[in-house]
Amino acid sequence: MSGGSTPDEVADHAFLAALAGLPAMGPARLRALLGLLGPAGSWKVASSGRLPREVQAVIGPRAASVATSWVEAARTCTPEAVLAELQSVGVTVTRRGEHGYPPALVDDPDPPEVLFSTGRPVVNENGPTVAIVGTRRCTRYGTEVAVEFGRGLAEAGVVVVSGLASGIDTAGHAGVLAAMGGTPPVAVVATGLDIVYPAQNRTLWRRVADAGQIISEAPLGVGPARWRFPARNRIIAALADVLVVVESHLEGGSMYTVTAALERDRPVLVVPGPIRSPASEGTNRLLSDGAAPACNLDDILCALNLVCLEPVSLATNHGAPPVSADPADLGVLDALGWEPTTLDGLATRTRLSPVQLGSAVGRLQRAGLISEERGFLQRCSGRGVP
Amino acid sequence: MGLPDASCREARDRVRAALVSSGLAWPSQRITVNLAPTGVPKAGAVLDLAMAVGLLVACGELEPETVDGLAFLGELGLDGSIRPVAGALPLVDAVEVEGVVVAPENRLEASLVEARQVYSVGDLRSLVRALRGDDEWPASPDLAEFDEIIQYPDLSDVRGQPIPRFALEVAATGGHHLLMIGPPGAGKSMLARRLPGLLPRLDSSDALQAARIRSAVGEELPPGGLVRRPPWRAPHHGASAAALVGGGSGTMRPGEISLAHGGVLFLDELGEFAPKVLNTLRQPLEEGTVRVSRVTGSTEYPARVLMVAAMNPCPCGGSGAPGGCRCPESVRARYVRRVSGPLLDRFDLRVDVRRPDPGELLDGNPGETTASVADRVATARQRAVDRGVRANSDLSPSDLEAEAVLEPAAVSLLEAALHAGRLSARGLHRVRAVALTISDLQGDEGSLGADLIDTALSFRIDPFSPVGPSVR
Repeated sequence: MSGGSTPDEVADHAFLAALAGLPAMGPARLRALLGLLGPAGSWKVASSGRLPREVQAVIGPRAASVATSWVEAARTCTPEAVLAELQSVGVTVTRRGEHGYPPALVDDPDPPEVLFSTGRPVVNENGPTVAIVGTRRCTRYGTEVAVEFGRGLAEAGVVVVSGLASGIDTAGHAGVLAAMGGTPPVAVVATGLDIVYPAQNRTLWRRVADAGQIISEAPLGVGPARWRFPARNRIIAALADVLVVVESHLEGGSMYTVTAALERDRPVLVVPGPIRSPASEGTNRLLSDGAAPACNLDDILCALNLVCLEPVSLATNHGAPPVSADPADLGVLDALGWEPTTLDGLATRTRLSPVQLGSAVGRLQRAGLISEERGFLQRCSGRGVP
Repeated sequence: MGLPDASCREARDRVRAALVSSGLAWPSQRITVNLAPTGVPKAGAVLDLAMAVGLLVACGELEPETVDGLAFLGELGLDGSIRPVAGALPLVDAVEVEGVVVAPENRLEASLVEARQVYSVGDLRSLVRALRGDDEWPASPDLAEFDEIIQYPDLSDVRGQPIPRFALEVAATGGHHLLMIGPPGAGKSMLARRLPGLLPRLDSSDALQAARIRSAVGEELPPGGLVRRPPWRAPHHGASAAALVGGGSGTMRPGEISLAHGGVLFLDELGEFAPKVLNTLRQPLEEGTVRVSRVTGSTEYPARVLMVAAMNPCPCGGSGAPGGCRCPESVRARYVRRVSGPLLDRFDLRVDVRRPDPGELLDGNPGETTASVADRVATARQRAVDRGVRANSDLSPSDLEAEAVLEPAAVSLLEAALHAGRLSARGLHRVRAVALTISDLQGDEGSLGADLIDTALSFRIDPFSPVGPSVR
């Protein structure tokens, strides 16, 4: 559905989609081809295998085998069929510089030449944009913070971008979806728009597509290749005016997003975490390296040069358990603290009998003040987070 | 003739050498020994002694009436010595005669079968002299009922870890299978080893059964013969299905689950066992007996065990805490999935075991001793016996309806857990049984309150549950 496009543009989109679908076709190779030959010329060259020397230089020593694989792949598909398939599932194709291409990406040092997207064109409206990223292996703490930031930012009219991965990404999107009348969610994914990865996020994927926009650099049918995740992360960093890292281990995709954001002069805000939590090791390192802390919504809004009229402290919001809770139960809550703890650890700290403790934990779980994940108890805000 | 295996066929050489070296005649004519019934395969050297005696009778060295009503079980050495055989107890039980002759080492096992006169002789020459009446049967010391002096490791060695300790106590009281999840070095095996000490001693019929199984695999019996102390078996995770539940080609052999009858079967590194092997445990755990069928026949062995298993929360060996392990979710999921859902459902108690606080290890007070916990267990188990079962885990859902009456708050708790998909219908009964066991341990009377159900639920963690946020 390239609405309002000229016939030439439509033909170009077909070539672009087909080119992007060739094996081992990364952003740099595609850019080299298009810069030299344009869409139609590039396709002709790629499907014939006679690559110009400039393109061979970009590909490097494996140019010959890459060229062969392109010829092989081009033999089995036609640009028209690729475009027709995209249109049949409602995917929009936009070329860099065209109307509908995210303005933030146009002058990027490493811009995607072509983007595929479903849903409404949220990122084109050029409103303030924040990316919420973090580890897939997050704690309850990270989950809750990501949900609250996602919700708060969406309600403040900020576009929230994330990557539809498990963990922090999921929590961030969930927060946006839970916002009342806020901005719609935006996701940038590493796979083709017909391939849900990770599979357990199918529902979330559909809800983000229905309410907002999902963008990918990959055409249909492209599975989760390793190199595509950092490539996707650079798009998230480029789309955002401010990057917020909620939780991150010392190594991981979020650290790549941080590097990409710093290369593009995007401010990076980091949520401080417990110094003993491995999931906060990376974020705490970023803080000591000089990143600004994101302790509440206001910190992020300030970084966007927006003003929040009523600064809300998440800490005071967290800390007030319902008055109805039993004083003994509150003692258990205090002993639990904000780190994941097993029942055994809690029993050692509180010196309660197993039955006293088991029943207190049961009551606190029902009150929404404790969550349990594979035996680990974690304190939560009690505000119904996924 | 009659389907002998290699070691049985070699009896010819052993019998000949034994007779010659005992100064007895080897007849210079063709000898045929018929092993009837012909269709049943014979294995091993058990029949050596019987063949030798039969030969002596056939060639007139012994009068037929001297061997009347006697069975001979033993392997012969080339020097004429009579050597012990594996499985003497069940063999003696199976032969319907007045008396049996066995090797001295087998005397203890053989005499556990009450209706048999047992003679133990060390060599063929003395046997022949005794049969001819030239000599008395060799004297054998009286068998007193010894108590086994196996010392189980004591619970007082365990510092801290109040929740796993309590889980052991509940497991021992109610017969509830226990799964311990924790990182390496958290003390899972140390805890499990202390469980047999909490279990009651085996009663006479179980002790005899346990002795028969142990005899069948040729393992040494405790002094006194009967296995009174709850056994402890800890098969390695490389064990095959046949090693675990019994079987094997040729001679059928009881498996680890039968050897643990009346005691504890400990499966360390549960996630490393082959999933197929683990699934063979489900039927015996359910029925308390194991049926092994092979082309050569089928057998049933007793297999009433308390199963205790330990596993790491994930393959990386981290603590498994949210955000704290290095495994990608898919790797972790694949690891825990090796334990099938139905098998996991057999574990009524599932607890996290983490390394105890350094403070507890260094200067914490010693824990409660095994003896004092075992007292509590015994008192609480008596209440199950009063209900007409061995332990609360044997109570059927309809028994539980009558014995484990729930307070209204407890009912609504269980309903909520059922609706949330946290419990299966089977899990519901198990939670109820565990709550009853805890109530027995506390000496409570009357119906089960919400606190007991909450506690039973908190002792039932789900290692399969996905981590992190999800959107429905």
